[in-house]
Amino acid sequence: MEILKQRPSRHPVERLTLLVLLLLSSVTLLTTLGVILSLLGDVVQFFRRVPLAEFLFAPEWTPLFAEPRYGIAPLLAGTFLVTAIALFVAVPLGLALAVYVSEYLPSDKRARVLGVLELFGGIPTVVFGYFALLFVTPLLQKVIPGLSLFNPLSAGLVMGFAILPYVSNVAADAMQSVPRSIREAAYALGARPYEVALKVVLPAALSGVIAAIILAASRAIGETMIVAIAAGQRPTLTLDPRETIATMTSYIVQAATGDQPVGSTAYYALFAVGFTLFLLTLALNVLAQYIVERYRERYE
Amino acid sequence: MNRTPTPEAFGQDPWKARIDRVFARALVLPLLLALGLLALLLGDTLYRSVSVQVVRADMGPGHTYPFGLSAETILRQELLAQGYTEEEAAFMLQDPKERNALFLQNRVELMWNTHEGPFRYVVTNVYDERVADFSLAEGLRRWNELKANLQEGERLVLNPWLDQTFLTRPPSRSPLTAGIGVAIWGTVWVLSLALFFAIPVGIGTAILLEEYLREGRLSRILEVNLRNLAGVPSIVYGLLGLALFVRGMGLGPSVLAAALTLGLLGIPVIVVTAREALRAVPDSLRLAAFALGATQRQVVFRVVVPAALPGMVTGVILSAARLIGEAAPLLLVGAAAYVPFAPTGPLSQYTVIPVQIYLWISQNQPEFARVAAAGILVMLLLLSALYLMALYLRNRFRREW
Amino acid sequence: MVSLEQLKEHQTVRTDPVPESQALVDVRQLSLWYGTKQALYDISVRFPKNQVTAIIGPSGCGKSTLLRSLNRMNDLVPGVRVKGEVLYEGVNIYDPRVDPVAVRRHIGMVFQKPNPFPKTIFENVAFGLRLMGVKGSELEDRVVEALKRAALWEEVKDRFKKESGLRLSGGQQQRLCIARAIAVEPPLLLMDEPTSALDPIATQAIEDLILELKERYTVVIVTHNMQQAARVSDRTLFMHLGVLVEEGPTEVIFTKPKHPYTEAYITGRFG
Ligand SMILES: Nc1ncnc2c1ncn2[C@@H]1O[C@H](COP(=O)(O)OP(=O)(O)O)[C@@H](O)[C@H]1O
Ligand SMILES: [Mg+2]
Repeated sequence: MEILKQRPSRHPVERLTLLVLLLLSSVTLLTTLGVILSLLGDVVQFFRRVPLAEFLFAPEWTPLFAEPRYGIAPLLAGTFLVTAIALFVAVPLGLALAVYVSEYLPSDKRARVLGVLELFGGIPTVVFGYFALLFVTPLLQKVIPGLSLFNPLSAGLVMGFAILPYVSNVAADAMQSVPRSIREAAYALGARPYEVALKVVLPAALSGVIAAIILAASRAIGETMIVAIAAGQRPTLTLDPRETIATMTSYIVQAATGDQPVGSTAYYALFAVGFTLFLLTLALNVLAQYIVERYRERYE
Repeated sequence: MNRTPTPEAFGQDPWKARIDRVFARALVLPLLLALGLLALLLGDTLYRSVSVQVVRADMGPGHTYPFGLSAETILRQELLAQGYTEEEAAFMLQDPKERNALFLQNRVELMWNTHEGPFRYVVTNVYDERVADFSLAEGLRRWNELKANLQEGERLVLNPWLDQTFLTRPPSRSPLTAGIGVAIWGTVWVLSLALFFAIPVGIGTAILLEEYLREGRLSRILEVNLRNLAGVPSIVYGLLGLALFVRGMGLGPSVLAAALTLGLLGIPVIVVTAREALRAVPDSLRLAAFALGATQRQVVFRVVVPAALPGMVTGVILSAARLIGEAAPLLLVGAAAYVPFAPTGPLSQYTVIPVQIYLWISQNQPEFARVAAAGILVMLLLLSALYLMALYLRNRFRREW
Repeated sequence: MVSLEQLKEHQTVRTDPVPESQALVDVRQLSLWYGTKQALYDISVRFPKNQVTAIIGPSGCGKSTLLRSLNRMNDLVPGVRVKGEVLYEGVNIYDPRVDPVAVRRHIGMVFQKPNPFPKTIFENVAFGLRLMGVKGSELEDRVVEALKRAALWEEVKDRFKKESGLRLSGGQQQRLCIARAIAVEPPLLLMDEPTSALDPIATQAIEDLILELKERYTVVIVTHNMQQAARVSDRTLFMHLGVLVEEGPTEVIFTKPKHPYTEAYITGRFG
């Protein structure tokens, strides 16, 4: 209750408490600052050596070659490919799950199913990567000729399940916040349950649902272990899901587990990629928040 | 009334009614699919963690030993079989240094089946050589054939890779003797230190936001910032850790650097769960305390926080579970190194369970996939324990206000 | 002051009962349970065509429950059990062969709090029509017609295709909900305390509207505002603790009620 938050008292112990709390919480602000500054310093170093145009437009990413090229495009293409495949799985499944959980399950089962789905998100992503590489890929190779051992297809498919709870649970939350009275109005007009779900609740929760999808996309872009394990670490400018590729995250892992001497261009390239990744996911998160705020329906 | 109305007069719409039924049924499919995938994933990992192997023993015959013998007896017999004399064997088992080296190099494993019968011990050492490794189904099918074709010095075993010695052993270049012990200790060190940093910050921030700050600029900034931090990919925290802790503060690839990195990653989750716990405390409690003349601090720390404690603990456990599985950021702050010893302090080198699993997966030898499966099972068991604990706490302390 | 046992003994007191031939809805010995809790006790009553019937009674007495059992909205509550019959134009809507969804298409409903969909005004009114497959210019015409009949047209005619229904004032929202309900031309319109969330001026507009709607529709309105019941209704039902205590022409109920409880309630001695 707002009114219970008193003005800070003049008593020294009270003020000290507040001060300590403020100091503690400033760590969260410092973290953001740290992320930006620590990345930025090395990013600046990188762009001292590599022109921005090269970074943006060169078609190859080969920092370790004798004649290195530093074009981010292959990494972006790889990231995009895996993310698209993951969303292709997670969005339909997640939305269907959300509708099912929010509109068809009685409230006592609702919490339980959401909890189970959340557990799904709690499985470490190395495990998903392992499954993609050793189970899904061999299976797909039987069906799809020319599928590389490391490929964005199985990484993306499995990642779709890993990010499923981000779609389903956030979307279900959005649907649950649509007031019951609106559902009743639709039922009273003779709508069937599926019409209520699809024509009333889903549109009413649309901003939340879109935000859920954007957040899931941002997760997929930043997800590391599944791609590092199953999609490969060879930057290739392609949208063919059968070929070995690298994403921004898998490149960072590759570079970090090899040994780039501190101060080399390849070392700074790590931070340039990381910063791009940071900006991209930040933009998506901000966009999702904006959509939720801007288009939230204000019911009575 | 001059007409005889029938119920059908209401105009059934059989077509739409059917869509409705189909729709309601079809919606269950995604849930079944997701659960099916989960079952498949667990089943596949379990399946891979057991295999049928033919191993050529480095020295001596491919002996197996009956169930019930102590590891020490078995090692002594193995040494004798390798040609050591009684005195030499006794000396090696008594001298602490020799003994330690012996136990590091030789792994006494209980096999589910061997060519000499079920549930017998074998001794595996670093120099043993794999002849063949079969999946469970194929191995069992060809068991008799394999047994008949065993060469001198070879042994046939049904090997459960996840066993007791796996939990305590250090990593190894040979999959036959690799263990997850060092990584478990690394996880314990890194996680405890990380929580040590993250809990005060996370809970302090939650208390500040829920109990102290009125809605205004500062609370808005903190909230927006937290929301964005929660969305930053974990690998970016790794870059932060690399630049700031490993290099900037000169901590090197140490437990401390990893703990700081992981701690920062954990803060947003802890804040969210702690805020929920605080919000669940009804205002009537606060009002009652204020009415008794308590100061703000007394209300918060003597009434509200104790009431919210079970919820906060649950939240911390859940975020710990999240952090345990994080591999990506730690790869950047030194966990990828080959570390043969458990950490002894905050500045030790370390590796953690998920990174160890990743390293095994990246190896070429097929048995490392089995070692990785065993590692995954260990990690999942650990996580299940934490989730069950959180669940227990949540139910045990659930209160109807 | 009144025990349920005493009430249950009692037969409903009726003045000028509605003859079967004039009834649009004929409720016969209806009882209803929410799980194990009984909310309606053996209710029999007829609702005459093209008249306004008001249901009054203290809160929690089952007014809404009775109203919602007329279009089977209660089916949406898990664990509901119904005994008895509700004949609509002679058909028992609780017959197992009847599809509750089809019933609701014939019967409009307006709720206590305005609940427009978060869609445009047009789409709100068009919703029921679209469910029935109405399209194109006919859809448009019938939406406009409904808005006119709900006395909302003049206020929204230049923006009804663009503006969200949630942007309207409370009174306008409620008239929008009425327009939405009557767009499909339901012979019967159910209203559950439709003005309880509105200010006096908006209430006045809705009451005027109800009197106009009476020409074309049969209206059943739940209200706990007795002046409102007196102003708009032709007949009044008084309920207490799930029992229909008395029913009759509104002026009889309000001026010379026969049952002592009715009198006590009307004169404000309980409820
Ligand atoms: N969905 C429900 N589940 C259980 N009991 C209910 C439900 N709706 C109403 N009731 C109970 O039925 C009785 C009648 O309620 P209601 O018809 O809403 O009364 P009124 O509209 O006259 O205020 C009340 O005692 C109420 O508690
Ligand atoms: Mg009511």
